[in-house]
This record gives sequence, structure tokens and C-alpha cells, in this order.
Amino acid sequence: MKAMILAAGKGTRVRPITYTLPKPMIPLIRKPVMELLIEHLHRHGIKDIAINTSHLAPLIENYFRDGERFGVRIAYSFEGALVDGEVQGVAVGSAGGMRKIQDFSGFFDETFVVLCGDALVDVDLGRVLQFHKEKKALATIVLRDVPREQVTKYGVVELHPDGRVLRFQEKPSIQEAVSTVINTGIYMFEPRIFDFIPSGQEFDIGGQLFPALVAANEALYGVVEPFNWLDIGSIPDFWEGTRLLLEKQLPGFELPGQEVRPGIHTGINLRVPWGSVNIQGPVYIGSGTEIGAGATLIGPSVVGSGCVLQEGATVRECILGDYTRVSSAAVLERKIISGGKCIDPNGKYLDINESQIGWIVDDARKQMQLTAAEAELWEQVMDQVTA
Amino acid sequence: MKIENKEVGRYLVVKILEPRMGADRAASFKDEMCKLIDQGHMAFVLDLSEVNFIDSTGLGAILSILKRVGKSGDIIVTGTSDTVGSMFKLTRMDRVFQMFPTVDEALAARV
Repeated sequence: MKAMILAAGKGTRVRPITYTLPKPMIPLIRKPVMELLIEHLHRHGIKDIAINTSHLAPLIENYFRDGERFGVRIAYSFEGALVDGEVQGVAVGSAGGMRKIQDFSGFFDETFVVLCGDALVDVDLGRVLQFHKEKKALATIVLRDVPREQVTKYGVVELHPDGRVLRFQEKPSIQEAVSTVINTGIYMFEPRIFDFIPSGQEFDIGGQLFPALVAANEALYGVVEPFNWLDIGSIPDFWEGTRLLLEKQLPGFELPGQEVRPGIHTGINLRVPWGSVNIQGPVYIGSGTEIGAGATLIGPSVVGSGCVLQEGATVRECILGDYTRVSSAAVLERKIISGGKCIDPNGKYLDINESQIGWIVDDARKQMQLTAAEAELWEQVMDQVTA
Repeated sequence: MKIENKEVGRYLVVKILEPRMGADRAASFKDEMCKLIDQGHMAFVLDLSEVNFIDSTGLGAILSILKRVGKSGDIIVTGTSDTVGSMFKLTRMDRVFQMFPTVDEALAARV
């Protein structure tokens, strides 16, 4: 069976992280989401994968290359053009992206799977395939049952008892929702699906293809599978997802590195005076990180590689990107530091340069230079706090 | 630095009417406040609800006023936006100043 991963989106709901990282490359602790996805496909015996790229395409393509390192074979379908050195995305939509590949080479010559590249899933594709074949489906949507309070975030699906899709409801209210099973963005198709996808125009799977199948009374089925699903479609989701992983609440997900103390996982080449720091797990501390005496690090937290927590710095429930420096004067609580931004779990953020908080948190590779005002403020605040 | 003030009991509520408390406004803020201190005011409620940007000089200016009014004085900070409030928390200034969402809540707490 072949697969396609949709990785061409701009990730607008995960800004500002996606200003510098395409959504599928957002790391869950250390691994990009898409790597975890490809590992999952590989475990199911899938070897040939087409990936459509656009926004920040090189970051994806340079990481996965031809896929050999991951035991798969990858072909990229680049959607866009390079204009004056800048990639300009050309929107073709999710189904449009499939069609582009099919028009190019007829790649999809047997039952295939399409997944969104921004969720961690461990669905049993073998069972989905079995269902798909039994029903002689043209298209099967993998559905998941969620608590009723959550239906407002998703596309809800109404099923006939035999599994046929009756209709869709996009982000319904709790009262209006006709069911609690939602579209997970994982689909299984027969090549005949391309009869319903026009060439050369923008076409979306959920918004256009599926309604067309329902209207034409085609064999569109939904299968409800229990599986672990970590959606990182927004900053709050990414925040919650990371916490879940740190607290080991996702079965089958192993924290990277070694557990050097209970609840504390690390990489290698660390400089940490264990006797004089206050570190409480669950935390992951990346390789090459330095933590100064008297610093406080409280989990759940992820500290990237090459980070510096200066003496006395306080970091509480944070996700720090690689090469983050937290200065002694800082108290960082519930923040994501990524790409020069200081982000709250609700998505609001400060630009470190524009807000001039580089003296609190910045790139560890920059030389630290305090202005006179900053040095004075630091001293005064520390005086007042310790008084 | 444009400010608006009114007395409420022993407190002078000082509302900053400019959106940016940066290096260029910090000095004039200090001047205005010093004038008020010279007039005998020692207890202030600072209303920052119109302020959407503050940097180290701005924070330093507020801190220097705290030092000037000393132990017998009081400075309460109110109305910080998400961004300005973030700045206070990041720099531990929220441990130096009492902070309230609104002027009314600050005054109610002090009565």
C-alpha cells in the first residue's frame, strides 16, 4: 500500500512557530511530528510515500531526503514557485495535491492512504484496510470518538449503522452535533477516486470531494477506530500534546535520551551541577545544555539542545527551543520559546527583539550585552526581591 | 508624558495616557512623578490600561519611583495588558509591585 502525507500547509493556527518551521517539522520533545508519522507508516509495511510540500519546503525535504534513513522511499510534490529566491505557495488544496501527483505519474495505482502531516497517530491501518475492502469502499474515513464537549473543534460525521457516511457537520455546537465521531484527517482511497477530483484547480478533500461523493451516492464509509491521536493543529494543542508526552500519558511513546534521575531525561554532554540546582521532573534536557548553580527548572518542561540557564534563572513549565538562553534575572513560566518569539500557551506572543527582552531570554549563541538601563533594572529587581 | 490624575483617599490614581513606555518617554514619566511626589503625594495607583508597550527603561522608571517614595509610600500597578503584564512577570517585577486588574480593585484592597 502506498501513502501520501499532506505537508504543504502554512500552519496559520500554529503561528508564530510556523513562521520558521513547517507544521510537520514541529518537534514533539525531539522528533518532528512527521518523522513519528513516517515511522508509523513503516511499521505498517508502507514503503512508498508521496509528500506534498510548499511552505518552508526545504526544511522538510532536507531532513527526510529520499527516506532511506527511515526505511521508506519518498517523493516530494512541490506546490509553488521560486520567485526571487522566495517560495510562493500555489494553493491546490488537499485533493488538488493528490490529483497533481496522479496526473504527473499515475503514482496511486492501488489502494492508498492519505494523512495530514500534523497529528501523531497510531491507528491500525491493517484494520482500516480490512474494513475498506469488506465494504468495497471507494473512500474510507478514519473516525475517532471524542467527548461531546470537544466536538466544537472538529468535523463531525454522521454514519449509517452499516458505516456509510450520511453527512458532515463542520464544528457544530454541542447541542447541534449529530454524533461524537470526528474526522481525523486519515483517509483510505481507491484510485477511482480521481474520477471525482478535477485537474488544475483548487480542490479540498473534506470541503469538496466528500460532499460530491455523498451527493453521487458513492461508497463513502467511515470507520471508528480507537487509537492514540495527538493533534498539533494549534498552539494550545501543541502545548497540551507536549505535556501529555512528558507525563508519559501516550502509550507507546518513549521519551528520548536517558533517565538520569527519576523524571529527568537528558541527552549527552551536559553541564549541570546536580547538587546545587532545583530540577523537578518530568523534564527533558537536551544535549550540550548548561544549567548554572541555583537555577530552577520545574516540569513538565522541555529544554532544547545547546541551551543555557544562567545562575538563579527560573524556568517553570516551559518548552525551550534549541540554543535558548535564560538569564539569571528571568522568571519564565508557561512559555514556549521558538524562533525568536516568547509564546503563551494560548497563542499570544512577544517578539524578543521588538519587545527588547533579549536580556531575559534570547539565543544562547548571541553575545549577551546589557544596556545600562537593563543592567540597572536587573540589579534593582534582584535587590528588591532578595531584600 | 501625558498623564491624568485624581485623588482617591490617600492615593493618587495616575493614568498614563500614552501607549508606549519606552526609552523616550521614561524620563518624562519620572519627571512628572517626581513633581507629584514633591507636592506631597506618596501613595500611587498607576493605571497602565492605555499602555501597550514597555521596555527595561520604562520598568526601570517605575522602579525608581518606588525607591523614591520609600517604605512609607506605596505604588500599586493596575490595568496591565497581556504583553505589558508579561514583561512584569518575566522580569520578576510582579514580585516587587502589588498588581491588580483594575484601579477599583486596587483601591478596594487597600481600604
